[in-house]
Amino acid sequence: MSSISIPKKSGFLTNLQRSMGGVLRRSLTIFLSVFLAIIVGSIIMLLYGQNPIMIYKLLIMGAFGSQVGFFVTIQRATPIIFTAVASALAFRTGVFNVGVEGQFFIGAIAGTYVGYAFKMPTIIHLPLSLLAGFAGGALWAFFPTLMRQKLGVSEIITTIMTNYLATYLISWLTTYPLAASAVTSETPFVQPTAVLPQFQEFTPFGKGTQASVGIFIALGVAFVMWYIFKRTKLGYEWRMVGLSSLFSEFGGINLNKTFIGGMLVSGGIAGLGGAVEILGVWRKYKNLFAVGFGFKGNLAALLGGQNIIGSTVAASLYGAMESGALGLEWNAGVPRQLIDIVVGLIIFFMAAEGMWDFLRKIKIARGEPARRTTENLEV
Amino acid sequence: MLPSYILHAQEINYMALAVEMIGIRKEFPGVVANDNVNLSVEQGEIHALVGENGAGKTTLMNILYGLYRAEAGTIKIRGKEVHIHRNSDAITLGIGMVHQSFKLVPSFTVAENITLGAEPRKFIFTDRNAVRKNVQEISERFGLQVDPDTRIRDLPVGVQQRVEILKALYRNADILILDEPTAVLTPQETRDLFGVVRSLVAKGKTVIFITHKFREVMEISNRVTVMRDGKVVATKETRDTNPAELARMMVGREVLLRVDKEKARPQEAVLQIQNLKVLDNRNLQAVRDVSLEVHKGEILGIAGVEGNGQRELVEAIVGLRPAIKGAIQVKGKEITGLSVRDRRETGISCVPEDRYVRGVALGASIEDNLIVGNYFKEPMSKGQVLNLSKIADFARDMVKKFDVRTPGTTIPAFTLSGGNLQKVVLAREISAEPELLIVAQPTRGLDVGSIEFVHRRIVEARDKGAAVLLVSAELEEVMSLSDRISVIYEGRIVGTIDADLATEEGLGLWMAGVTDHHKPDEIPAAGDQLDIDQKEANLV
Repeated sequence: MSSISIPKKSGFLTNLQRSMGGVLRRSLTIFLSVFLAIIVGSIIMLLYGQNPIMIYKLLIMGAFGSQVGFFVTIQRATPIIFTAVASALAFRTGVFNVGVEGQFFIGAIAGTYVGYAFKMPTIIHLPLSLLAGFAGGALWAFFPTLMRQKLGVSEIITTIMTNYLATYLISWLTTYPLAASAVTSETPFVQPTAVLPQFQEFTPFGKGTQASVGIFIALGVAFVMWYIFKRTKLGYEWRMVGLSSLFSEFGGINLNKTFIGGMLVSGGIAGLGGAVEILGVWRKYKNLFAVGFGFKGNLAALLGGQNIIGSTVAASLYGAMESGALGLEWNAGVPRQLIDIVVGLIIFFMAAEGMWDFLRKIKIARGEPARRTTENLEV
Repeated sequence: MLPSYILHAQEINYMALAVEMIGIRKEFPGVVANDNVNLSVEQGEIHALVGENGAGKTTLMNILYGLYRAEAGTIKIRGKEVHIHRNSDAITLGIGMVHQSFKLVPSFTVAENITLGAEPRKFIFTDRNAVRKNVQEISERFGLQVDPDTRIRDLPVGVQQRVEILKALYRNADILILDEPTAVLTPQETRDLFGVVRSLVAKGKTVIFITHKFREVMEISNRVTVMRDGKVVATKETRDTNPAELARMMVGREVLLRVDKEKARPQEAVLQIQNLKVLDNRNLQAVRDVSLEVHKGEILGIAGVEGNGQRELVEAIVGLRPAIKGAIQVKGKEITGLSVRDRRETGISCVPEDRYVRGVALGASIEDNLIVGNYFKEPMSKGQVLNLSKIADFARDMVKKFDVRTPGTTIPAFTLSGGNLQKVVLAREISAEPELLIVAQPTRGLDVGSIEFVHRRIVEARDKGAAVLLVSAELEEVMSLSDRISVIYEGRIVGTIDADLATEEGLGLWMAGVTDHHKPDEIPAAGDQLDIDQKEANLV
């Protein structure tokens, strides 16, 4: 009966309490993490000679308080939603895709190339460019998949390495074969038939921001993935393998198929995000135009509890914080790195879930009557 | 001032109690493992500690042995109040414990293992001669025969356990805790162990014997303490109680200890295995040459000490492990090349031995756990889309039919107890109406009430026409459930016998690899009447 880890008693109430306890504990963790991050962030701001309350106020105002701020939030959130959904999908499927960053880049360059190199009507060109982005990301995820399937190499290592490969490959591509001119490391502009319209181009809103209809694609992808996970056979297989590959194998689910599927779709979504970012915001590929989207996506997925909706929300909040930070830098002269520190702190405190146990132990160690030292030991 | 004779009497009284645990309380997140537990063990007695899984027996002993700290309560050893904060405190107090899973270094010799951590030294080096001498001396003193120079990995489980006991004795243990010591032993090894325990007590040691087998309680103990839900139900003189009463106290209600079943009416063969060879994870042959048949309407029990190829045999049949040689046929169809899914579709269901690993996905909902065998078929899904309401109906139906105690079907499986989880697995596997039902260690770790339920369902599946292959390390279970019994030893079936003719003694010999009494190739077919000669040859 050594199994203390799996308590036996299971009255209705205890069961309910236990499952409710999980949700509560998770919410509490997030709340405490954010709270602690804000406190520590405040101390740093104070040390820097800033008024933290004012800064937090400006941060929120900057992200949501004005039309410009709101649209910048949308623009910033769009790519992170893609990478966050891609990360969450991989996590949930039990695939360790740390290569979202690289897949995002490759998707972006693929989308750019199809966007500028061909001439066709919008109705074909735009979808084709987006598809190229998806295919590029999937292809970039395919190499690690192949290595794992054929040689048993852990995808954690290979996906990290393919991130570097992507960075340098694109440096070369944008400097030589795909360079618009010999002086700059950037591609030509994509054809007008391949761009995603920005709000300021066709509505009276969002003046001065580059928010595009890409946000709808991002939310659409999130919704579709949510649906797939919840309602389809494929999603069931993904979920089960993610929860327990040994159980799934026993139940007759094909693990190889699931792994390949999860990896390629995750890479594809990241790549699609890259293409959307180019076609919506930049319209040409500048070398290293936006490093870090992949990692931000990973973080947002973690923050969002690794589920699709949570990750989408977390990615949007991440975008909002970036937007707010941008506003701060412009209006109050506060370096945005301060905000990055706060974001980093939130993640840090969340990751340190074990810390609560640690704190409790310290509390118990002090002044608990049952705990006396060995000096009292009578032999 | 008390008269001296009273003082004396008190002393004797104190001396008479080896262990006294008073008002012990221990909580784990979400569960009170020990709730105001009182236990007193007399000097020189064999005290059985029984209870269902999760009743708190091991927790209590771990507190005594200094592995856990109680939140409240007092411990007295030989009448003196002590504070046991860590393992070494307990050892200093003369408490020794033999765990269910042995803590031995396989590549070290017996002597090295016994003295490990307390080696006699010469300067900074281990004095190897002294090590051997000490071990030999202690082994002779207690009549526990071991060869000090054999490596642990070369020893059978029963001897390894003896080494564990010696290890405790070497550290001057007076009070010995044995945590379900017979779980891994053959009946003969169990008898040897009982002999050892009795001789230890004769030499003045005190033994606390954790078990959930009533027969052992009756056979070996002087007194017995029954625990349920973290509390002590009663402590009794063993001679004043009986198995039925113990079961009632453990479970809190009347329990049917025997399996009620009608005689099997076996029909055509469903599973046929010929000359099967399977490798284990270390690429060693675990199944060396197994041929067997299971017929529709019968339960074939595979008895054997764990680790003799049972796991690999089952995995090869369900498709988790390749067969390197041999044939497996279900209803005449060769299945060795098929995927797990295709084999399941052929009519194989399996209740796996690793309930928490293979049997369920702990993080998934009960619904999701129930549909892994049929989510891809109508009515659970249509095209690519799952039919959530049909799935919910199915899950509710299963939970009701199999009496799974749960507040809902969408809560994660890990909230269920072991017995309820096993019911979920059974529900899934039996509801598929299999031609061949494999059940591996179906009641391991379950409480008496759940065992009764599981056994009934297995017999029911047989009566509905399934061929049942039962693999269990519990000899009692194999004997009471099976219609025929095969014994596996080192990857070979050493004998098969009609369950009515099987004796524990005979099966035990087979389990230990002794086949002199019987020609292993004489495998009686199901339902065949054995002739008198065979009956006589039948190991009694």
